[in-house]
Amino acid sequence: MKIHVYAALKDYFTPEFELAETIHNTDELKTCLLAINGRAGELLDTCRFAVEEGFIDNGFKLKENDTVIIIPPSSGG
Amino acid sequence: MIRSSSSLPAAGDSRHISAKPIDLAGLLKEAHHPAAGAVVLFSGEVREHNRGRSVAFLEYEAYPPLAEKTIAGILADAVEKWRLQIAVACHRVGELGIGEPAVVVITASAHRSEAYAANRYIIDRIKHEAPIWKCEHYADGSHEWGNNCNCHARTGDPSIHIYETTEGGSGHHA
Repeated sequence: MKIHVYAALKDYFTPEFELAETIHNTDELKTCLLAINGRAGELLDTCRFAVEEGFIDNGFKLKENDTVIIIPPSSGG
Repeated sequence: MIRSSSSLPAAGDSRHISAKPIDLAGLLKEAHHPAAGAVVLFSGEVREHNRGRSVAFLEYEAYPPLAEKTIAGILADAVEKWRLQIAVACHRVGELGIGEPAVVVITASAHRSEAYAANRYIIDRIKHEAPIWKCEHYADGSHEWGNNCNCHARTGDPSIHIYETTEGGSGHHA
């Protein structure tokens, strides 16, 4: 599974990386990310997740080939 | 831009994110419609200070596929809600110097009250919902990603904004 992170998340992770673990939903993905960098927990709790052009929630079944976008709170404008 | 000659949102282009400087005069020149008696333009521009600190420049980053889709949806909602003739929004990405426009919203409607209200609605929702992020680069060389939407602190859910709850009512304030 490919992961893309943006903005402040880049202070905790490389912008793009791959996870070899089998991950079924966003809760499992968060657990996996926290194992990589536990300091990102507070920020991850405020993030949304997306696949392609759509936001997803924990009910979305992630697939091995998905690219998951992790989206911190917006700060445009 | 969404340009409508009927009560329904018209199909528009999807270029709401720009790596090039925003052409304010050019956008305004195109934002006229024979049924619109009011045109409102909002330009959010780079300020030289932030919370008492001197700002050197700003950097904006976006996830374009979803930012384009999100902004298009916000414009369509505004066109329908206020029966706008024109709704335009464009947000810069990349490095911006002091005074440069970072985001521009233009609304045109039959009367000014609708154009003002719709413009405020659009910019507030863009700031909260579009996957776009600002990084302040300060004169002392430090940087800070910031001024994030913090609705999650009130709603308990990063996907729910304060104006979508009974607590937030119908207002759309950044």
